[in-house]
Amino acid sequence: MDTFRLEILTPNGEIFNGDVVSATLPGEEGEFGVLAHHASLTTLLQAGVIDLETENKTVESVAINWGVVQVDESKVVVLVDGAVAIQGESESAIAAALAEAKQLIEDVSDSATAIASVSAKLENAAQKLI
Amino acid sequence: MANLKNIQRQIKSVSNTQKTTRAMKLVSTAKLRRAEELAKRSRLFSSKINQVIAEIAGRIKCHTIDGIGSRSFEKIENPKMIDIIFVTADKGLCGGFNIQTIKAVNKLIAEFQGKQVKIRLRGIGKKGIEYFKFKEIELFDEVKDLSSKPDLERSSKFISTSMKDFNDGKTDGLYIVYNGYKNVITQELHVNKILPIDADQYGCTLDPQKESLLEIEAQDESMMLTSLINKYVENNMYYALIDSVAAEHSSRMQAMDAATNNAKEMVKTLNVQYNKARQAAITTELIEIISGVESMK
Repeated sequence: MDTFRLEILTPNGEIFNGDVVSATLPGEEGEFGVLAHHASLTTLLQAGVIDLETENKTVESVAINWGVVQVDESKVVVLVDGAVAIQGESESAIAAALAEAKQLIEDVSDSATAIASVSAKLENAAQKLI
Repeated sequence: MANLKNIQRQIKSVSNTQKTTRAMKLVSTAKLRRAEELAKRSRLFSSKINQVIAEIAGRIKCHTIDGIGSRSFEKIENPKMIDIIFVTADKGLCGGFNIQTIKAVNKLIAEFQGKQVKIRLRGIGKKGIEYFKFKEIELFDEVKDLSSKPDLERSSKFISTSMKDFNDGKTDGLYIVYNGYKNVITQELHVNKILPIDADQYGCTLDPQKESLLEIEAQDESMMLTSLINKYVENNMYYALIDSVAAEHSSRMQAMDAATNNAKEMVKTLNVQYNKARQAAITTELIEIISGVESMK
């Protein structure tokens, strides 16, 4: 399957930079997926989770609190304010990342349902890793 | 003999100063490494967000879209009040680092005052604030301890006042002046015009074939732009702080290195002087003894 380059940048550095098969992004007006050769677009992202599928079928999740995405045919650049990747070597590291991600979302979102749905998603992602 | 004592005292004092300057240099070197790393990581985001804004500005220019719902992209004729934010260090002893920024601010002020534009000066960093207070130039507000410890939250809060006043029409422009990091031995002065975003500056650079594919996907375009511009301004402020810290440390490192070398040179000259004086004293004593013996004969 075709891949495209995805970069996730925060003011304090790069969170992710690599080739992925697909990315699911929490757009301001609803979630949307991006595959290679997607039409160019620029839009805002709200607090939520970005799911990335890499070439070897592993799925990575990154929680974000605000963002803007720029898609063009060969490359996707996501600029975010704060981001936490759900990953880690050990169970405790994953749990710590999960707690940090939840905190990040809770700080910006005031709707309980939004927080709950994002939290559920994050926990699912963490479960898969453990 | 009194002269010898004096020189000795001087040597001691200079070598003590040398110890201090050397220590300061080492501290700055260590801090520089950290600040440089931070600036490097932040630079990528900063350049990307500026690029996104530039592209949007380019599009606006291409289509001459009117009524975008945001003042930020409009060309403002006859500005009445301009916001100038300067970033200096909280501490001195870093060569010409602060004075360069101050000079640039003065130049900018003179330029605008020539055009009958009022200036609102907002200061970050103790050194610049002290200077303008001494010169009795009015500061709209001032923040200390932010330029030595950049913090996204505090810088966003600081800049939000400028954003709000610009959007409300109280001010007609926003400039950030700071001394940025270029490499370990050079600093680069930046006078950045943040608002309004000058579409002319970017020009219409889009490839017409590709351009049709670009879509800004949001029901409410102006809301998206507002949100984006907010981030753009916030980030530019934050990046100016980070860049300034790195530059401050590199400048201080250089200044302290020069001071250490100067002190070394001075100790050397003083040592020669001391030896000469000592020799002279010995010679005088010998002559005294010999002439004493001669007179006894």
